[in-house]
Amino acid sequence: MTHVEIDRLAELVLAPDDSPAEVRRHVESCSECAVTLAALSDVRRMVGEDALVPVPAGVRAHVMAQVGLATAPTASTSTVLTDDVVRPLTRPPVAAEGPPRRRGGIPMWAAGLAAGIALVAGLGIGRVTGGGPASPQPEAQDPAAVVAAADLTALDSDADRGVASAVESDDTVTLRVSARELGGDEGFHEVWLLNVDGTRMVALGVLAGGDSGEFQVPRGLLDQGYRIVDISVEPEDGDPTHSGVSLARGELA
Amino acid sequence: MSTVAFPARSRPDYGGAVVTGMREFEDEQDEYVHSVAARLVGGDETALEEIFDRWSALVHTYALRALRDTHDAEDVTQQVFVAAWRSRHTLVPSRSALPAWLIGIARHKIADTRAARSRDADRARAAAQVPEDHLVQESADSEIADRLVVRQAVDELPDPRRTIVFLAFWEGLSHAEIADTVGLPLGTVKSHVRRGLVKLHQQLEGVRHDSR
Repeated sequence: MTHVEIDRLAELVLAPDDSPAEVRRHVESCSECAVTLAALSDVRRMVGEDALVPVPAGVRAHVMAQVGLATAPTASTSTVLTDDVVRPLTRPPVAAEGPPRRRGGIPMWAAGLAAGIALVAGLGIGRVTGGGPASPQPEAQDPAAVVAAADLTALDSDADRGVASAVESDDTVTLRVSARELGGDEGFHEVWLLNVDGTRMVALGVLAGGDSGEFQVPRGLLDQGYRIVDISVEPEDGDPTHSGVSLARGELA
Repeated sequence: MSTVAFPARSRPDYGGAVVTGMREFEDEQDEYVHSVAARLVGGDETALEEIFDRWSALVHTYALRALRDTHDAEDVTQQVFVAAWRSRHTLVPSRSALPAWLIGIARHKIADTRAARSRDADRARAAAQVPEDHLVQESADSEIADRLVVRQAVDELPDPRRTIVFLAFWEGLSHAEIADTVGLPLGTVKSHVRRGLVKLHQQLEGVRHDSR
């Protein structure tokens, strides 16, 4: 049997009065075309749905972080996070933990960090060792002296993301963070100090008032190698761990 | 209602030309879906980003309707795309396999979320109702998914067909009113509505077929 064209069936659904009688007769005697006609009517019934609801911006970054890809949509970042870089750093802690953490247990901050260290090493050890803070000047008049500073940049480029400085006064060090252009991803910005050994980190707190904040840091931390300032974007999910999405980073020197 | 009218065309063959161009566009779309799926299977990271950008709203809206909780819906969306990457070798690229496959994964994640909720709820009370509720929910879910697939298919129609289909199905305008609004001949409008409906049907059938 010759079937009628699907366009004619659509016409029968949409404008039955326009539809030739032979189309109708055919459908009455052809189960195959009757099924298609019913399906077309079904679709006609299913229209009218409201617009799809986009997912909040942060989710994409979380997905990419969790699957171990770059968080920024540029091609260059993905090369930073190669498996070779990630594995030596992440395997021991992940293996020791047993059940996977909610975000997949991949400390992406460590992955990027390893690359960062490699980069610094490539640029010259002098910046890490020689550029460190000298002991406070005995003659210093200002009770609060800047002992170290870091230029913050995006991870996937050298784009300026502000500055951080460590100011020493008595026994405490205050880290002053003045970031910029952190982007509009949903969530809050949290400041971390990453250890240059690539395996440890300390959460300092949240940038609650805009892009600037001050954080008291026990003096010993810097000496132990916690010298890399990292700003992450954190979803409001109550998970205290690093989201894996770093917006800015710089090493105190 | 404010609608930007398309420039009036008097050439009678305009409709034919548009419809032909439309078919090429649809082929390109299908080709793209096929190729991005193939790239995903091959482990291309940028393919996952593209797939997320194109279908995350579909998955998210689906989870939102099914679970009625914004936080759970975001979680499910995230889980779906992570799972998609991790099980990408199970995807057989085809024209409609991607959305079907993502919806299939979403269906499982939604079921997992519901299961976790009912574990948290009063077990005895839940146990008495679960089997029936389960079936009702499954069928409601698949209706939701179908409707959202149709919605996205309309969004992805090239203009002027998209606008015409919206005016016909969402605004309920008659073909003659649409012809006046967009400034196209009545026959062209009818053709667009007809072809639009057929396209939506084909899209939905493909997704249904591939998700079973």
